[in-house]
Amino acid sequence: MNDDIHVVTNDLEKCDIALEGLYEVDDPEVGLNIVDLGLIYKIEFEEEKKRVFCEMTLTTQFCPMGDSITSNAIQALTDAFPGWEVDLNLTFEPAWDFSKISQGGREFLGR
Amino acid sequence: MIPISGVSNLQQTTSYKIVLPFYVYAAVFYLISTALLLLNADVVQQHYFHPHTLAIVHAMALGWGTMMIFGASYQLLPVLIEGKLDSNLLGYLSFGFASIGIPILIVGFYLFHTGWVLQTGAILVNIGVVLYLVNVLSSIYESEKHDIHAWFIGAATIWLFSTTFFGLLLVFNFSESLFPDNSVAYLTLHAHLGIIGWFLLLIMGVGSRLIPMFLISKYTNNKILWIIFILINSSLISFIVLFLLNTDSTFYYIPLFLAILGIVLFVNFIRNAHKVRIRKNVDEQMKMSIISVIQMLLPLLTLLIILFILPSNQHIKIASLYGFCIFFGWITAIIFGMTFKTLPFIVWNKVYHKKAHAGKTPVPKELFNEQVFHLMFISYLIGFVIFIVGILILNTIALRVGAAMLLISALLYVYNIGIVLLHQPKKI
Repeated sequence: MNDDIHVVTNDLEKCDIALEGLYEVDDPEVGLNIVDLGLIYKIEFEEEKKRVFCEMTLTTQFCPMGDSITSNAIQALTDAFPGWEVDLNLTFEPAWDFSKISQGGREFLGR
Repeated sequence: MIPISGVSNLQQTTSYKIVLPFYVYAAVFYLISTALLLLNADVVQQHYFHPHTLAIVHAMALGWGTMMIFGASYQLLPVLIEGKLDSNLLGYLSFGFASIGIPILIVGFYLFHTGWVLQTGAILVNIGVVLYLVNVLSSIYESEKHDIHAWFIGAATIWLFSTTFFGLLLVFNFSESLFPDNSVAYLTLHAHLGIIGWFLLLIMGVGSRLIPMFLISKYTNNKILWIIFILINSSLISFIVLFLLNTDSTFYYIPLFLAILGIVLFVNFIRNAHKVRIRKNVDEQMKMSIISVIQMLLPLLTLLIILFILPSNQHIKIASLYGFCIFFGWITAIIFGMTFKTLPFIVWNKVYHKKAHAGKTPVPKELFNEQVFHLMFISYLIGFVIFIVGILILNTIALRVGAAMLLISALLYVYNIGIVLLHQPKKI
């Protein structure tokens, strides 16, 4: 995990595998992946139940691409952890803001 | 056991099947409107109560502006009211009635058949509008939050019904004498109900949410939006009162001042959103939308010229400039910009949603041709400016050249819409 990407997790090793998959998921409007955008808040794992719990947000609660982004995120996590159940929760607390974008993401956005 | 994966707290979206017919219909009507403008370019030199002017204005206002807004608002209603569209069936029915009624109404105006043709068209349009009104208001009622954006869209929809119902009465007034005066005497009232109440309120309500959203700007200021909402509604209500009281034209500075204040505050709202945007590079669709916001000031400047400088016998000629700046100005520009922000997303969701993460998919902006969009943008701006010059110097050649450029912009617009709609998934 890069230093400027802050994701709460209970398993760093598995979290890196999850993020590797999530790096491939872009916000189609911004053209930047959802990890660098800072949309992923939490990824936790329940080994016994083979369950991945992901908490993420969107740049706006009203994002018309929300359905597509979350479907892609679920698919990425399912691909990363075959046979595991993926539970994705969208949250808007705290609301996403510019400070959550990684340095690489800011450079991509011309900032 | 196969694990079941899912997502919670996701905003619901409207089916593309309801939305896309409106986009197609509106695009065709923009083409028809510009073709009619080219064929009748010199009509702007005559009184605005001319059959061909009425046909062009209604083709622009209903076929282009209103049908596009119907489609876009069905799509965006969940975003605007934080709820879902109440009835898909009403959405389909509103398209059915309005899509049949609008061409009948326009043919009625063009041929000036004031009997059953105009009446049938007006009745069908009103049924379509009532179905839209019921759907929007019930969706707002069912939604959990009623913030300022819901108020904008709700009020705009009520004003739309006021406009079309008053229009229906004016149509019947041709043959039944419902009002003390001829229908011509009420045209300014009918027009401003639609322009200020429907188009301006709705575009401000939608724009104040969508423009910051697409700029990825966190700027928001509900207090200012409430002030704008009150100013624009007060402007229209005071205009109606003054019109019905048949007061001296000096009093019309009151609604004009209120509208100018509301629009200036809205322009400033968009400027602030632009200033704190996260995405540095603004794409052409957004540039066009921002230009449309600035264009909102043009008709008001025209009105000031009418009231301040011109003698009253010159008002009719400059009225064409006023109407042109509204329908071919900010209404058209914001639709151009927002079409290519929203339509590619709708089609992208339709085509690629089920192919999520199956490989690299194109991004929504790759679904239309950016070069064609650029040419459309340029031809539109050139046509818009030349046509205004044509109105000001009363030159038929300038009017024809301006109209021809607008027709070119319409052809390019329709072509690009076609590219988006016919997009096939790349083999992945």
